[in-house]
Order: sequence, then structure tokens, then C-alpha cells
Amino acid sequence: MSPHRIIIDTDPGVDDAIAILLALASPEVELLGISVVAGNVPLEATLANACKIISLSGCVDVPVYAGAHGPLVREQVYGKYAHIGAFSDALVPPANVRPQEEHAVDFIVRVTRQAAADNDPITICAIGPLTNLALALVQHPDVARGIRQIVSMGGAFTALGHRTPWAEYNIYADPHAAQIVYSSGVPVVVMPLDMTFQALITEKNIAVIGENAGAAGAAIAGLLRTFDRSDMQRFGRPGGPVHDATTIAWLLEPEIFEGRAASVGVQVSGKTAGYTYADFYGKTGLPMNATVMNDIDEARFLEMLEERLSIYGARALKEVSG
Amino acid sequence: MTATPIIIDCDPGIDDAIAILTAFVSPELEILGIAPVCGNQPLERTVRNALQICELGERSDIPVFAGCFRPLFRDPIYGQFHGESGLGNTVLADPIKTVEETSAVDFLIKSCEAAATSGRKITLCTLGPLTNVAVALRMKPAIAEGIERIVMMGGAFREAGNRTMTSEFNILADPHAAHIVFSTDIPIVAVSLDATHQVILTPEHTEKFSGSAGRIAKPLGEMMAFWDRNDVRRYGSRGGPLHDPLVIAYVLAPHLFETQKARVFVEHESELCMGQTIADWYGKSGKEPNVEIVTEVDAKGVYDLFLDRLSRYALEEVR
Repeated sequence: MSPHRIIIDTDPGVDDAIAILLALASPEVELLGISVVAGNVPLEATLANACKIISLSGCVDVPVYAGAHGPLVREQVYGKYAHIGAFSDALVPPANVRPQEEHAVDFIVRVTRQAAADNDPITICAIGPLTNLALALVQHPDVARGIRQIVSMGGAFTALGHRTPWAEYNIYADPHAAQIVYSSGVPVVVMPLDMTFQALITEKNIAVIGENAGAAGAAIAGLLRTFDRSDMQRFGRPGGPVHDATTIAWLLEPEIFEGRAASVGVQVSGKTAGYTYADFYGKTGLPMNATVMNDIDEARFLEMLEERLSIYGARALKEVSG
Repeated sequence: MTATPIIIDCDPGIDDAIAILTAFVSPELEILGIAPVCGNQPLERTVRNALQICELGERSDIPVFAGCFRPLFRDPIYGQFHGESGLGNTVLADPIKTVEETSAVDFLIKSCEAAATSGRKITLCTLGPLTNVAVALRMKPAIAEGIERIVMMGGAFREAGNRTMTSEFNILADPHAAHIVFSTDIPIVAVSLDATHQVILTPEHTEKFSGSAGRIAKPLGEMMAFWDRNDVRRYGSRGGPLHDPLVIAYVLAPHLFETQKARVFVEHESELCMGQTIADWYGKSGKEPNVEIVTEVDAKGVYDLFLDRLSRYALEEVR
């Protein structure tokens, strides 16, 4: 089977870093480029972090593009872990790649229009606010035609939000962009908090990754230990979610997920801006534009992270032994 | 005197056509490019119309860049007074001129970045929904440094709307884009319905303008005649408001216009008032005024200006 050709649209971010490293550890995925957006932290920091992650992976040919500085309409909000800012050199070594001249939105427009012309549409894993994608989609109808599917980490349905009681961060940060993307006609696979809260990475997994996954593992372990994502009160057990990595995991092993078709939309204004609704039963008569994931095989997902990321350790050993 | 560098962002459209044809014969202006957007007509049509207008005005040297094919957030709405083609019943030859490879958004970004570097800032003349400009600003906020000002046809302040009770078409067609543009610190001149309803193109003007317009007389006369709203109750006479051409008139002859400065807000949440432009005339918002709103137009002066310009099409040398 030919690999999934993907773009990762991202605002790194700790779990973004794991998603990118997972993709670059997987031969089933061909990463065409990283389009970066402001989100968890300001664009300068997300961009610096993206370059550091690519350097860390050793896949320095994967291009990184700077995208939108902020949301379309609402005022800017940063993530819960905004204090991370740019990853420190102590946690993630300095980058040896630089961002491209081309704008991330132009990159998305160029690649998708070409994919439409070639009748070989690509996948976009969108793991930050959806600003870049929205700005690309309004520019030419071929942008949507060139996208097979958008795997979107975002939203909360039966689960409560995490940034506000009603909203998941990526949607809350740019609800207009999310609605533009979800209503674009491109099939969307939604990875909501309902599902991502079911797969918690624990110290045991972190230790394995830290030990086996070379410099990438050391950085992941350092990041996860410095910015502890666990929430005993909320999850009732130790461990923290790795939201963004589920988008890549779904491409690799869709059978470990369960989902349902739904019509998904976004509340863009008012007190509950950023709220996502899903109509599973056709009550609204609106098109079923999305598949909403509601279940994940936690054990397999964590095992996958341990297995796949260990390639960075193996690659490092190979380099040492020549 | 050096010419003022302008970009015409538009959705032709009959009144856009009159505006562009006027700009073509105004050596005070250097038209860097024309950037059609989805508006009065779908993008395919506004692009075609822009190409045809360039050929009609014998200005095929001016590049045309295709813009966004839909509004940012809302479903597209189209104009109601421009006929099926967007140029009334006027039939122009299929264009030989072709649209540029570069998109309007990239053209705006590159031009404004270059202008920021050179210091020769650009005046954006916007005659349609603001989608192209908003997308460019969200992609590269720093392009604001290369924009001298935006002279815009859009909005309705003391006048009622023309598409809905509250809202003027260009703003209603993409209120989110308008919100983005009005939220920047770029100097803006708003030629709203408050201004354009002061300058009605009556059948008498139509006859006079087209009669003196030499080789474009026939199509210009047809388009102007099509523009007649035949709504004396609203406009005080036969004819239609000279919306978009007033933007070009303002850039050429600002002394014919009186303005009042205010902060402007755009309603983009309420369905009832969607696209309404609200001026803070009396400093209630606590925000700095950012828009020169045209309040009074010397209509006689403007008619004379257009007569002077359009009659240049009767001369042998256009420019």
C-alpha cells in the first residue's frame, strides 16, 4: 500500500511534538511538510518548536512553514501550557533547520491544488487551531478537492471541555476557522476529548520511551515530566492524555478506534463560543460531515507509542555503529 | 508629480466597471493590478468581467489576479442589480487577455511587502467584499506597513442598508472580512451609502456621459442605463447611486468630499443586523477613531470630474 501523504498543521506544543515524531517514525506515512500556526504559544514559539522537533527527528528534509499569527475573528487565546513558550535547549536541543520562505497557507494551497490536479488527494492532520486551513480553503475550490480527509484533534461532545467547561482548546482558539473547515465538504475525522481522555500516558510508558527512543525519547520524557499532564481529579487515575498523537495513530491503526458518523458544527459566538455539537441521529437534516471517535484501545495506543518511537533509539545506534 | 500607486480590489459589477474605466484614463493613478473577488457575481464571472473591462478600456497591460472564490465564513450572496453577466445586458467580446497565475491574495501580500520596503505605500481601492484583503492581512499582518490607506466602498451609517434593512451589500457579503479590516490600524476612508446616495446617475447624466465617451460610448451607455433603479421614492429621482466610482473620485479629488472621523464596528454575530456598520461618532467606545467616513459629497464637482475623465475616451490617445 502506498503511504498516506500528509501535512501536519500544528502549534507545538508537547503532544504536537509526539504526533510529529510518531509520524516521522512510521513508514506508512509520508510527511510532506509541517504548517505551523499560533495556538498553544505564539507563532514565533510554535515555529521554533516545530524546527526543533524536525531537527530532533533527524528528518531534516521535511519542510517547516510559518502560518497565521492568530485567529480569524476572535481575540487570541493561548493554551493551558502557554507558559512553556519555546522549548528550552535543555529539554529539546537547538534546531538545525530553518523555516521555509513560503507561507504555510500558500504551501497548503499549492500542495492541495496539485493533489487535486493529479487526482491524488492528501490527508491533513490538523492538531492546532484551524486558522491556516480555513485561510487556504477560501482561496480556491481545488483546495478542498485536493484533501482526502482532515483528521482533526478538536472538540468535546459528551466530555466537558478542558479550556473552558464547554470547549476544547483548538476549537475555542479559532471557532470560525473550525466551522469553515468542518463545513468545507471535506470528510473530517474528529478526535475529541471524549476519546483522547481515555488514553493516558503514565510514568511507566514515559520511562520506556525515555530509555529506548534516543534523543527524541529523552526530549519527550523531559517534556512530559516537566509539564505533567495528569489530572487525578478529572481522570481518577494517574497519567495524562496525548491528544494530538491520536490523529497519527488513527492513520496507522484505525482498528483500535471506534467512531460514529455525525453532523458536527461549532458555536462561533456568544458565551459558549467554541462549543462543538454533534448530531448523530440526523435530527438537523444536515449532512453527516464527520466521523467522531468515541473510543480508543488505550493499551494498544500506548504500546504503539513505545514501539514506534523506539526507532529513534535504533536509528541513533545505527549511526554510532556506522 | 508621481502617480499614486493603487490596487483595485473589486467584484465587477456595473459600477465597478465605471470606476475602473475612470481609473484607466487618470494618469494620477498607477494601477498595479486588479484583484476581483466573489461578490456581485461568482468569482469566475468577476474575473471574466475584469478582463473584458481591461480590453474595453485598452488597458490589457494591467494584470488581473483572481481572488477568493467565497466569503470567509458565510455562504455567498450575489448582487441584484447587475444582470446575469454582472455587466447588465452589455455584451463584450470574449477576453483574449488571461488572468495571472498568482492569486490576488499573494499579489496583495507581495505588493504591500515591497511597498513597505520601498516606502512607496499603496492605496487599496476596494469596491467589493473585503475577503481578499482580510485573508492577506490574516496571513501576513505586517503588510499593513505597506498600505497607505484603504479607500473603500462599503457600509451604511446614517443611511439604511441596501441589501437588508441595516446593511450595505459589500459588508454583508463578508462581514467577518470587514470586521478584520476595520479592526486594524490601517487608515480607512469609507465611501458608504451615506455618500453614494448623494450622487445619483440620472438618465440625463447617462446620456451626457455616454454621449461624450467616444469609443466606449455604447457599452458605457448600456451599462449606465441598466443601472437605473427606477426608485424615485428612495433616491429622489430616476437613476442609480454611483457607488464604486466615488472611490476613484475620492482618490483623484478628495477636496470634493467632507469626512468625519470615527471608530467603526461591524456586526457579525446577529442575524437580524448582520453586516451593519456602526460608527462611534461621539467616542462612546473608548477606542481611537480609525475611519474617515464620507459625510458630504460635492455632487456637481463629481459629475464634472467623471465627464472630464470619460470624455478622454473620445480622444485619440487614451492616456
